[in-house]
Amino acid sequence: MSASPSTQTRRDWKALLTRHEMLLLYVLIAEWLFFYFAGTTTNRRGVVVGFGTLDRQFDILRHSCEIGLLALALTPVIITAGIDLSIGSLLGLCAILFGKLWHDGGLPIPVAAGLTLALGALAGGLNAILITALRLPPLIVTLGTYSLFRGLAEAITHGAITYTDFPASFLFVGQERWLGLPTQAWIFLGVALGVGLLVHRTTFGRAFRTIGFSPEGARYAGLPVARRLALVYVLAGLIAAIAAIIYTARLGQAKADAGTGYELFAITAVVLGGTSIFGGSGTVHGTLLGVAAIAVLKNGLACLPVVMRMNAAEEMSGLLTGALLLLALTAGVLPKILSRFRARHHAPAP
Amino acid sequence: MKRFFRELSVLGALAAVLVGMAIFAPAFFSPQPLLSLLTREAPTLVVACGMACVIITRQIDISVGSMFSVCSVCAGLLAARGWPLLLVLPASVALGALLGAVNGLLVAGLRLPSIVVTLATMVTLRQGLNLVRQGEFVNLPDRIQWFGLSQMAGQLVLVGASVVFLVALALAMRHVAAGRFVYAVGTDAEAARLAGIRPQLVTFLVFIFIGALTGLAAMMNLAQSPQVQPLSGAGLELKVIAAVVVGGVAISGGRGNLWGAFTGLLLLACVSPALIHLHIEAYWEKAIQGAIILLAVVADGLRTRRLNR
Repeated sequence: MSASPSTQTRRDWKALLTRHEMLLLYVLIAEWLFFYFAGTTTNRRGVVVGFGTLDRQFDILRHSCEIGLLALALTPVIITAGIDLSIGSLLGLCAILFGKLWHDGGLPIPVAAGLTLALGALAGGLNAILITALRLPPLIVTLGTYSLFRGLAEAITHGAITYTDFPASFLFVGQERWLGLPTQAWIFLGVALGVGLLVHRTTFGRAFRTIGFSPEGARYAGLPVARRLALVYVLAGLIAAIAAIIYTARLGQAKADAGTGYELFAITAVVLGGTSIFGGSGTVHGTLLGVAAIAVLKNGLACLPVVMRMNAAEEMSGLLTGALLLLALTAGVLPKILSRFRARHHAPAP
Repeated sequence: MKRFFRELSVLGALAAVLVGMAIFAPAFFSPQPLLSLLTREAPTLVVACGMACVIITRQIDISVGSMFSVCSVCAGLLAARGWPLLLVLPASVALGALLGAVNGLLVAGLRLPSIVVTLATMVTLRQGLNLVRQGEFVNLPDRIQWFGLSQMAGQLVLVGASVVFLVALALAMRHVAAGRFVYAVGTDAEAARLAGIRPQLVTFLVFIFIGALTGLAAMMNLAQSPQVQPLSGAGLELKVIAAVVVGGVAISGGRGNLWGAFTGLLLLACVSPALIHLHIEAYWEKAIQGAIILLAVVADGLRTRRLNR
């Protein structure tokens, strides 16, 4: 009994429209419309201010680049059933190293940036070696490097030095627009395209999913599990270094506490985007939607009159992001729980 | 001897640090600062005991820092309203247990990974607290600090209570059935289930347990100062997890004991005062702690590799 072609097509459409990413897209649109109507006002001089302005939209894009990059770095990691808690700290360490290379080392900006990228990849390599060569759990390894990287950043700066006075040509990357978009958005889109191609259009991406689904199975299938895993963590380090440079360019300063707590927002974005925390499945476009949902929430809240009066945009957005993560996780396992429940209650009578 | 090699090696490292301090900076051992150090670590020790249980069941709880802050502030507010200490203490423990039950429900009930669940509750609790309190301090009435005793007596009570607790729990983990259940679930949940243990129930109870201990630790911290800082628990989770892992409790579950966690905690706690006494800049503390964690896990990794060969 095969379904007729028309019901088949209808079922395809239904499956497409109820996919996790599509659901997230609906939420994102609803969220955006809500803030558009609730967060846009006209001030006394008749100028439109708040969420609805184009400037604000560019601001959202500008501010979501660093967390977006970290989320992109984490997507392949989580697909392989791993985790990297150290990327926020690595962002801080790379920002400091970049500032030091440029300011104290006297290197030109492009050379300093190149070296920073190399050091970021090297730091990712440290995670990779510990995880693959010694087969240690990623959670505890990156917890250790989380502390180590942030500690090194603090030790290098004695907890006090901030590198500033970067040249305008460098600040262009973080504060100006190029071809209509904030400059760093182009870098972000480039990295997103690269990671998207890697995960969805190459055999590497397939290997990541296989490893996440079953590392043992991947080994029997002849995949070089250790090399693929190492690639994922080195890539995460490299992308964290890119994020560090963009962060420095946006704020015009490099501090040891750069990126504190970013790993949490990045993990939230990835999980919201439908990547399974147990590994084996996930998409890059889902992650991008997750990043957008969080960024719109954060900026939208800051525009609401109620929140502005309470001066609590930061806390509200953190609170809602945490709640959103719990909700997304619960929604992810609910079908499984329900079917188990149903199976128990419809068991045939003995 | 061979069975406890891992714990003994940490003890050896601790002894080496202490001997080194005795030679290069004998001032480290003057009684008053040493007692203050131990008092500061007493609440951490109580949370570390709970964390050891959680990690032995192959879970993790990184929301302890936020739970600690929430319990501290709530207990402080109750105390400031004139509640007697004997009522504030159970209230704080109960609040902690309640927060732990939320984690436990999500982890054991819905079978979600504990790292992500507790990450989410960590942020939700912390930001919720910030939202409500806006970083305000709570001033405590005089009779709360050191339980109304002299400072010396109060410190001795706190340190003594935490050590008694440690010994009792360590013995219970080894000799009481409930303690063995925790190991059984962490070693192999399926085998434990076939042996008649309910793994999800054990996991749920362990999360309640660490919540209650966090509430208790918050009270022990409350008694040390005249006011409550809303951020008092920040970073506690890392400190505790580091101590437990350094002490030889395997993150893969089922292995390790509380004595190891205790030694690990002491070793890490010595870093900061040792740096001060050796005139090394204190900014290195976090980096050194990170390096110690990595060293400990690398040692574990090399050991299991050798055993598997």
